Amino acid sequence: MAETLLRVEGLRTYFYTWAGVVKAVDGVSLHVNKGETLGIVGESGSGKTVTALSIMRIVPAPGKIIEGKIEFQRKNLLAESDEEMRKLRGREIGYIFQDPTSTLDPVYTVGEQLSEVLVRHQNLDKKSAMDRAVELLRIVEIPDPEIRINQYPHQLSGGTKQRIAIARAICCSPSLLLADEPTTALDVTIQAQILETLKGLKDRFNMSMVLITHDMGIVAETCDRVVILYAGQVYETGTTEQVFENPKHPYTEALLTSVPHLALKRERLSVIQGNIPNLIEPPSGCRFHPRCKYAQQICIDKVPELEPMEEGHLAACHFARELKLKSPVTS
Amino acid sequence: MSLIKYLIRRSLYLIPVFLGITLLVFSIERLAGDPVQIATFGNTHITEDQRQRIRQYYGLDKPVYLQYLHWLSELLVLNLGDSFGGGSVSNLVGQGILATLELQLLGLFLSLVIAIPIGIYSAKRRYSVLDVTLSSSALVGTSIPISFMGIAFILIFGYYLNLFPSGGAQSTIQSQYLYGNVILDQLWHLTLPTLVYTFAILAPVVLLVRSSMLEVLRQDYILAARASGLGDRAILYKHALRNALIPIVTYVGLYFGGLLAGAPVTETVFNWPGVGALFVVKTNVLDFPVIQGVVVLITLMTLVANLVTDLTYAYIDPRIRID
Repeated sequence: MAETLLRVEGLRTYFYTWAGVVKAVDGVSLHVNKGETLGIVGESGSGKTVTALSIMRIVPAPGKIIEGKIEFQRKNLLAESDEEMRKLRGREIGYIFQDPTSTLDPVYTVGEQLSEVLVRHQNLDKKSAMDRAVELLRIVEIPDPEIRINQYPHQLSGGTKQRIAIARAICCSPSLLLADEPTTALDVTIQAQILETLKGLKDRFNMSMVLITHDMGIVAETCDRVVILYAGQVYETGTTEQVFENPKHPYTEALLTSVPHLALKRERLSVIQGNIPNLIEPPSGCRFHPRCKYAQQICIDKVPELEPMEEGHLAACHFARELKLKSPVTS
Repeated sequence: MSLIKYLIRRSLYLIPVFLGITLLVFSIERLAGDPVQIATFGNTHITEDQRQRIRQYYGLDKPVYLQYLHWLSELLVLNLGDSFGGGSVSNLVGQGILATLELQLLGLFLSLVIAIPIGIYSAKRRYSVLDVTLSSSALVGTSIPISFMGIAFILIFGYYLNLFPSGGAQSTIQSQYLYGNVILDQLWHLTLPTLVYTFAILAPVVLLVRSSMLEVLRQDYILAARASGLGDRAILYKHALRNALIPIVTYVGLYFGGLLAGAPVTETVFNWPGVGALFVVKTNVLDFPVIQGVVVLITLMTLVANLVTDLTYAYIDPRIRID
């Protein structure tokens, strides 16, 4: 049995807005084993990012973690002091954001932003932090690191900026890397390169990784296990093989069939009808029922439990065992 | 050096602006009336012929453009001419400018020193009782014209409480000096106008710093800085403040220009011996050379303030390049 690095249980993070309480994350449980890559998949607004920010305890106001347990390296993060959390962030847990253009401070050079983190966590003096920063740029495969180190973010391309953000996230060789849609804002060709870099770094530094994405293709290529989030709740989880070859939740099926696939030669791309629901007053029962083509009365009345289908494969659907769901992977 | 080139280029841009402003003032003041008529008003012993001879003496009978060109050529050799009332314009303006700058710069400095921490605090503790109190007072403060505030302060602190003199830069006779000391006496006179200036600049800057900080604190790079484990102080002062300063510098630069232009009003309120008060007194008698001199000075100072503003934010924000 693999050792668990991170375990999240029953996490609830709500946003207290003027319009009402937005239940962005509403009872999410997941775990990450040492050395593995966990994919968190869902549409925009499904609570992927808020889950990751909650793990770091940096949910911006008016968001608040109201319940749950986050255990990392056998420490309960929700009980740690602010100072302990600050020491953990950037040192034990690295975070990569979606949009590299907005996550680097525009008024400081690359070197200043990297060395600042190194000085903080590793007690380096400025000079050696700068040397280490150049080395980090080399590690994340940026050409001409000696030039880049003195440049400002606006002088760099999107791909390079994301590599710098990665360098900042891994500069203290953390044991967990949270990558929040790290390739979404980039060109397709750059996406593949960044994913390769991430995979390489994960092995090199012996990290575990949580990869947040809405792209099932990326999950298939990168992740060992996957968690499907919908409207702030986990609807299915299992190894990537289990979920892709034998999806048990209609939402997972919908996600899989909405991926464009050359071999399948579909005339039209299938889309999931409707939008992610309002999280102030989510739909009753199964939150997916208004968009589910298999929905019955029970789906409106009763909340489905997350139940085991096979070893490590869980799904929250009243008909998980009865439905014969298709997967484009097996067809 | 790119900086020197930039300065030269900027200074070249200033020439047409400068010419435009001086020409405009030159024409308008001549449309406003005839200084000879004003000076000799009610004097029954003077004939129209004698008035014409006075005009000829001062060159006021020539077409406006010739007068302007003459004035301009004198300006090139740094000669601002003589006041109609006697004395050289350079002397008059030179005495006033120190008093003006003393007030303006002191007020600007004090208000920034006070406003920036308040604004940062308000943004950090948004919607707290203190924030709401501070920012709504700042809103009220912004809405009060500086001249009104000046008169109110004079009434309260000068007249009713009798704590400070109600005008002037120093007592007229030595026996009235505060503790018999000329420096203390001048500081005593300086207090009230400085306070008013400080409050007048303070209020809008507080609001600006607050909103600018709030805007920056919402940015992803602040969240990313938190995710890197940086401390609150580093995030607030190193990352947020420097980014928030960019609009603040622009605003303060423009506002400073506005204050200089408002000097005639404020200095009149406090009977402060600066160029603004001089301007008002001399406008009443249409003393053209002095009016021109003050306008030249205020224009130059405003343009320099704008230039300093540009240089400052080019220094703060690397995306703004000087070349």
